[in-house]
Amino acid sequence: MAEERSGEDIVSEYLGQNPQLAQWVETFRGYCETNKQWVARREFILRNMEAFPTIEQGTPSNSLDRLLSLSMVWANHVFLGCRYPQAIMDKIKEMGEGIVVQDAPVRTTRDEIMAKGKRSANAGSDADSCVKRPKSNEVDGRSAGKTAARPVNQKSGPLPQAPAEHQPFFNRLYKAVAWKLVSAGGFGPNLDHFEILRSCVESCKQSLSCVIVPLKDIPDLPAGRTQKEGHVCELRCQTVYMGTGYGRDEAAARAMASKEALKVFQGRKVAVKICRRRYRGKDVEDLMLLDDQPRSQGFPPALSYPFQSEQLEDGSS
Amino acid sequence: MGVPAFFRWLSRKYSSIIVHCVEERSKECNGVRIPVDTSKPNPNEVEFDNLYLDMNGIIHPCTHPEDKPAPKNEDEMMVAIFEYIDRLFNIVRPRRVLYMAIDGVAPRAKMNQQRSRRFRASKEGAELTEEKQRMREEIIQRGGYLPPEEIKERFDSNCITPGTEFMDNLAHCLRYYVADRLSNDPGWRNITVFLSDASVPGEGEHKIMDFIRRQRAQPNHDPNTHHCLCGADADLIMLGLATHEPNFTIIREEFKPNKPRPCALCGQMGHEIKDCQGTAREKQGEHDQFADTMPVAEQEFIFIRLCVLREYLERELTMASLPFPFDFERSVDDWVFMCFFVGNDFLPHLPSLEIREGAIDRLVGIYKDVVHKTGGYLTQNGFVNLERVEMIMHAVGVAEDNIFKKRKEDDENFKRRMKEKKKRMKAEHQAPAYLTTGQFAPQALGGRDRPQPVHNARHQAFDMRMQSRDHNNRVSLDSCGRNWKSRSSAGPSDSSDSRGVKRKAEDSDSEPEPEDNVRLWEEGWKQRYYKTKFDVDVTDEDFKRKVVKSYVEGLCWVLRYYYQGCASWKWYFPFHYAPFASDFKDIVGMFSEFEKGTKPFKPLEQLMGVFPAASGNFLPTTWRNLMTSPDSSIIDFYPDDFAIDLNGKKYAWQGVALLPFVDERRLRAALDDVYPDLTSEEVKRNSLGSDVLFVARSHPLCDFIQELYRAQSNEGTEFPAELCHGIQGTLNLDDDPILPDKTVPSPVPMLRDISQNSAVGVKFKDPQYTDGYVFKAVILPGAKIPSKVLKPSDWERSGQGPWRPQLGFNPNRQQAHLNQSAFRALGFTYFSGEPVSVITTGGYLQCEHATSLIFVSPESDKLLENKLLAVFQRMQRSSDNSHPV
Repeated sequence: MAEERSGEDIVSEYLGQNPQLAQWVETFRGYCETNKQWVARREFILRNMEAFPTIEQGTPSNSLDRLLSLSMVWANHVFLGCRYPQAIMDKIKEMGEGIVVQDAPVRTTRDEIMAKGKRSANAGSDADSCVKRPKSNEVDGRSAGKTAARPVNQKSGPLPQAPAEHQPFFNRLYKAVAWKLVSAGGFGPNLDHFEILRSCVESCKQSLSCVIVPLKDIPDLPAGRTQKEGHVCELRCQTVYMGTGYGRDEAAARAMASKEALKVFQGRKVAVKICRRRYRGKDVEDLMLLDDQPRSQGFPPALSYPFQSEQLEDGSS
Repeated sequence: MGVPAFFRWLSRKYSSIIVHCVEERSKECNGVRIPVDTSKPNPNEVEFDNLYLDMNGIIHPCTHPEDKPAPKNEDEMMVAIFEYIDRLFNIVRPRRVLYMAIDGVAPRAKMNQQRSRRFRASKEGAELTEEKQRMREEIIQRGGYLPPEEIKERFDSNCITPGTEFMDNLAHCLRYYVADRLSNDPGWRNITVFLSDASVPGEGEHKIMDFIRRQRAQPNHDPNTHHCLCGADADLIMLGLATHEPNFTIIREEFKPNKPRPCALCGQMGHEIKDCQGTAREKQGEHDQFADTMPVAEQEFIFIRLCVLREYLERELTMASLPFPFDFERSVDDWVFMCFFVGNDFLPHLPSLEIREGAIDRLVGIYKDVVHKTGGYLTQNGFVNLERVEMIMHAVGVAEDNIFKKRKEDDENFKRRMKEKKKRMKAEHQAPAYLTTGQFAPQALGGRDRPQPVHNARHQAFDMRMQSRDHNNRVSLDSCGRNWKSRSSAGPSDSSDSRGVKRKAEDSDSEPEPEDNVRLWEEGWKQRYYKTKFDVDVTDEDFKRKVVKSYVEGLCWVLRYYYQGCASWKWYFPFHYAPFASDFKDIVGMFSEFEKGTKPFKPLEQLMGVFPAASGNFLPTTWRNLMTSPDSSIIDFYPDDFAIDLNGKKYAWQGVALLPFVDERRLRAALDDVYPDLTSEEVKRNSLGSDVLFVARSHPLCDFIQELYRAQSNEGTEFPAELCHGIQGTLNLDDDPILPDKTVPSPVPMLRDISQNSAVGVKFKDPQYTDGYVFKAVILPGAKIPSKVLKPSDWERSGQGPWRPQLGFNPNRQQAHLNQSAFRALGFTYFSGEPVSVITTGGYLQCEHATSLIFVSPESDKLLENKLLAVFQRMQRSSDNSHPV
C-alpha cells in the first residue's frame, strides 16, 4: 500500500514541479480514458520517456508516437485484456515494471473462451489436444516448476482451460468437506482444520501440498510489518491455491492455512479461477479456489508457483 | 441492428407486410437453357421502377456461402454474383433504374463494428482451417475417405473491404456484366444502370439513400416512383420508411433459421465437422446424377411492403385529442428514432431495451403517454429535440429496475422449463432398463405352440443374471476406456480418479454458466455495471456524463445519417457499452453541432483501421509492417488476441469484443511515412472514385452521352431530366469508358468478350445542394398513397360480407380455382390436421400441417402452381385471415 501511494505521489509531485510538462502530457489523454487508466498510463509514459531521447517536449515526433503506442499497448493489455505478439508483450512488461495498478479488471480473451469450448466438445475423443493441457502432477514447494512438455514460447502461468479442468474435482471436494463438517459439528474454531482438510482431500483421491517458508524470507511483505518471527504456510491441491496462514511454528502456520482454506468452503459453492497476484515481486496469474462472495481485499502473495517453465523462472530470479 | 431479432419481431407482429415472391424459372429445351424474358409483365402482378442492390448482401453469400460448397476461385465467385443479380432482376424486373451499390469507405462511426467483425472473422477462419487440418489427419489415419484437398488458398472474407484488389476486380467484372446485359438482354434495354463501386465513399445502403434523397428533392422527380431495395439488413426497413416515398418495397432472402449446412471437410450434409467420419459419399440418385444439385431447397425471396407497414404503424401511432395536430409522417420518424435505442450499427443498445422483450412496444407505449407532456414530436427531418427525448428516457429509466428483475425471472423460468422438457424427452425415449430373455422373454399373444411349460427356470435365471452383468461390465469398461484415453497424458495422479459414469454426472451438474458479475437484477446493479464495464466508480459523475454525452451525440448522428446523410465522417462512439436510460439527465445542452467539412478515410487508410495484422497481406509491405513491428508507432491497434465480454450471452460471437479504438491522428502520422512506398496501381486503388451510369443504345440518354464523348467536354454536364424519367445529375467523361461498338474484354476466362457492345458508360454525380440544405421528410405533393391492404377495423359493422385478405400486390388478384374433388381433399386434410404434401407439375411442395395428394392435370401450367402455392400460404397464415379457403 505504502509503496503504491508513493509511486503515484512521486508522479504528481514531479508534475507539480514541471507545470509545462504536466500540461503537455495531459494532451495525450484519450477522451474515453478513466482517471484510473490515465493515471497509470501517464506514469508509464513518464517513466519511459527517458528511453526515447529524441522526444522533445511540446513537439510531435515519431518517437513520441512510438512511446504513446507502447503505452497504449500496455494499457490495453492491463485494462482491456488485449494480447500482442510475444516480442511486444515482453517489451511492455519490462517497461511497465513497478507500476502498480490496483484491482485491474479480470478479462477472458477470445482464445481462452474458444479453448474452453473446444475442450468440452472434444473431451474424450482425441489425444492431440491433451498435449496442451497442464500436467496436474503433485506439487510441493521444492518440485515446483517441473511442468515440462509444454510449448516453450507459451507464457508462464496456468492455461486458460485449467479452471474448467479442476472445477469438477473441487465440486467433489466441496461435498466431501460439507459432510465432514456436518459430522464434526459444524465449522468452528475448535477443530483440527488441517486434519479435516487433509482427510477430505484424500477421500477424493488427491493429496494436499504445503509450502512452508520462514516469514523473514518473504520479499513482498508490506514494509510496515514488525514481526519477523514465525512461518507462513501455503496450501495447494492439484496446483490450485487454497489458502495461506501464519503461525509461530510450522504446525500452527499449517493449521491457520487450513482454516483459511476451509473458510472458502463455507460459501454456496467454490470456483477455480485465474487471478492476478504477486509472486516474488511480480504480478503473475495463479489458479485460485474462491467462494461466491465478492472479494474486497487482494490476495496474499504466492509462496510457490507451479506453472512456470524453467526458462522463464531462470529469467525472473 | 440485431438483424434477425428485429426482423423476426417485425414480421411476426406485422405479418401482412410480407409477400412471397413469384419467380419465373428459365426452362430447358433439348438441353438448351432458354432465358426468361424479363421484358414481359412481372409475374408478381406489380411493376417496379427502380431496383437498388445493396451489393454486400450479395457478395458475401456468393463468395463464401454457408449452405453449399464454396466457389473454387475468384472467377467462379464473379459468375455466382452475376447469376444472383440475374435472379433478382428476373423477380423484380425494374423498368427504369438498376442501382448497384458496393460498400465504400464507411464513416468512422461504423469502424468499431467493422474492426470487431474483421478481427473475429480472421480468428474464426484460422480456427476453422486448423480444425479441418486436425480432423483430416485423424480421419485419414482411421482409414476414412475424404475428397482430395483442393489446392486453394483459404478465402479470407476480409478482402470484401474497399481498397483491396478483390474489390477492384469486382468493380471491373460488374462493368463487364452491365455492358453484357445491356447489350444482350431485352429486359435491360430501356433501363439506366448506376454502379457505385467500393471506391465511392459511403456504405452501400446509404449511398442508395443519398441517391433517392437527392433525386426526390429536385422538381423533376416522379413522386410515384415504385422503389424496390434488395438487402437483408433490418435497418433497410428504417431507411425505407425514412424516405417517405409511398411506394417502397424491400426484397430479401427468406429468413430460415437452422438451415442444414454441409460439413466443411467432406461436403456432405447431415453432420458437423467435428462429427465427420469420412465415410464415402452416398450416391445422389441411382447413377449419382444429382451429385451437383442442391440437397436443400433453393433460398426463396420475400417482399416486405413498407406501405403496409405504414398502415400498421398508422393504426398503432395515431393519437386522438393531442394538444397539437397529429401528423402521421412525423410520428413515423419518431418511431424510426426510437428503434435506434434498441439497436443500430453505430451504438451499443441500452441495457434495459431488448427487442425480444418487447422493447419497441414499450417505447411506443411510453411515447404515447409522454407526447401529451412534450407538446410535440421528438424529431424533425432527422434533427432531434433533446428536451423531449429526455422525457422519454426518464420514463424508460423509471421502469429500468423492474425490467431487469423481470428479465431475470423470465430467464429462470425459461431455464426451468427447458430442463423439465429435457427430462420429459429423456423419459420418453428411455427403453426399459431390463428385459427378461429366453423363455421368459415377452411374447406376442396368439402365437402357435404358446404358451409352453417353463424348463429349468433356475438355469435360465442364472443366464439372465450373467448376461446383464456382462452387459454392465462392458458399459463401464467402455466409459473407463474413454476416460482413460482422454486423460492419458494428464499425469499419473489422475488415473486413480477415473470413476467413469459417476464423474460424468458431476460434470454435467456444473455446466459452465457464463458468470455474470453485474447481476442487473440485484440491488446495486448500476454501481456494479459501471465498475465491471467501464472500470469506474458510480460516483465518478464526470465520466458518466462523458458516456451519456457521447451517446446523445450518437443518437443525433445516427438519425441525421438516415435522414440527411453523413453529418461527420469523424464522429464515433468511443466506448464499448451504453449508459442506462436513467442516466440521461440534463441532456439538452449536450449536443449542438457536428464538426463541418470532415473527410472520409482513403480506402487503404481504412484498411489499416479495420484489419487485424493477420489480414495484412492485403496491404503493401511497408504498411503491413506497421501492424507487426514492435517499433511501429501504431502497434497498439493490432492485438493478437482480445478479451470478449460475453455480457450475459453464451457464445463468443455474441459477446462484446473489447478492441482498442484507433487514434486517427497517430494513424495518419504513421501512414505519412509509408505513403511514398505505394505503387501507381496502389495509388489508384487508394483514390476516391465516382459513380458510373450505363445505358444501352436504345435508351434516349445514349445519344446525349455519346455526344459528350465526341465533344470531349471536360466539364461536368447536367443532362435533361426528361431523357431519363425525371432523374437528374451531372455527367463527367470516364477515363476508360465503355462505348458502343467498342469490344469489352472479359475479365473472367470462362466468359466471352463482348464484341458487339451497345452499352455506354459515363461518370455520374448526384444533384448537389448548398451546405446546410435540409432534406424534407414529407410525402411529396402529387404522390398517390397506395390503397389499403389491412382489414378496416369497422369492416364488420359496414356489413359488406366476409373480408377477403389481400395476399399479393394486386388487390384484384385472380383467386385459385380448384374443382370440387380438390376442395374436398383440401378440406379433409386441412381439418384433419395431418401433414399434406402436394405434388404439382413443377415440383414438390410441403406444408407444415401437410397429407393428401392433389393431382394436377399434366397440362396445367405454372400459373396454377402459383395459385396453389397461394392457397397454402393462406392456410399457413390462417391466423391472420378470418376466411380460410
